Amino acid sequence: MSQKPLVRNFVIRNRLGLHARAAAVLVALTSRFSSSIMIRKDSFEIDGKSILGVLSLAAICGTEVAITIEGEDSELAMEEVSRLIESGFGEGIDPG
Amino acid sequence: MKNSENSHSLSIGDFYGKFGEKLFLECISGKDGFERRIISPSAKKPGLRMIEKRIELESGNIQVLGRTEISYINGFPAKTQKKIISSLLSNDIPCFILSKGARPEESFTEYFEKKRIPLFATTLGTGKFITILNELLAEEFATRITVHGVLLDVHHTGVLILGKSGIGKSECAIDLIIQGSKLIADDVVEIRKIGSQTLVGVGPENIRYLVEVRGIGIVNIKDLFGTTCVMEKREIDMVIELHQWDSETEYDRLGLDTKTYSILDIELPYIVLPVSPGRNMASVIDVAVRNQILKETGKKIEIPSGTRK
Repeated sequence: MSQKPLVRNFVIRNRLGLHARAAAVLVALTSRFSSSIMIRKDSFEIDGKSILGVLSLAAICGTEVAITIEGEDSELAMEEVSRLIESGFGEGIDPG
Repeated sequence: MKNSENSHSLSIGDFYGKFGEKLFLECISGKDGFERRIISPSAKKPGLRMIEKRIELESGNIQVLGRTEISYINGFPAKTQKKIISSLLSNDIPCFILSKGARPEESFTEYFEKKRIPLFATTLGTGKFITILNELLAEEFATRITVHGVLLDVHHTGVLILGKSGIGKSECAIDLIIQGSKLIADDVVEIRKIGSQTLVGVGPENIRYLVEVRGIGIVNIKDLFGTTCVMEKREIDMVIELHQWDSETEYDRLGLDTKTYSILDIELPYIVLPVSPGRNMASVIDVAVRNQILKETGKKIEIPSGTRK
């Protein structure tokens, strides 16, 4: 745990937001890493490996979230999480 | 355990939506002022300050006009009444509330409309109203923090179970619920500090009473087990952390010392329980809670001294 935590901001871009299936895809990914992954919306922060946590964010399309990753595989985790969110969880990005 | 925050203000619109029913409020005037904000979590009465020529009130507090204030105003001719009201309204007050079902005259409400300061009326008596209002505001303005864990009521004790994701907190919670414990929140627990000694935990509304069980999915405890197996909120009395069993770590073998865990500067009894295959965590937690209750009654465990007579 010697590495510094990585922090990145994202805007949820898929039309349905972080709904149940998208949340499941996200936690399936985050759970693969040993690093701690936290997701924050405003002042509300939850564990990114918990599906209920992710659902409690109620993040809709356009919501801004900040992701903090800390641990040995943090760089790889941030790369893959970024790719997933930016692809709109494989559902495509809402142009509006 | 990082994001503690003080909520700094509450808009009148949100206040009315959230507490309007509980406080029996009815909006009489000044709906345009719903974006005004309550800054301080205590309601005030103008009281004796009403007799001043220029009424000065602390800004940011809700002001309650009770029978005393109203009958004082009513004791004057219309012209003076106007002056008193506009002096009241020259302060930066988020909203005024008339207690005990007082009903103002048309001319009275006009000022509030003009100044865009909401005016409400409640049917509750002044004393009771202020007590309830202050309790609600204290909770709303309390320092809070979000924690990844499970909050249960085990033997009437609020137990916060912490541990890394995947260690089996939720499964353990289900075992305890089957044994008669109540669920407050799974995975996300919002903790508020009430007063200087109390921590109260609730679950976020949109995932309330939901539990994720790997392999089954998300289940609703209230629907599955009934309303007696859940609680909306609960005071937290102790913290139990589940750890992956590690042969290098020394776990407590005697239980003579009490460790504490600090949440929002409140120290709670804290126990670390190692998890390993074949160890029934629900039973271990059950014993830990019983033992904690026993300790609080002042009973000490008698451990033999090691020498035989």
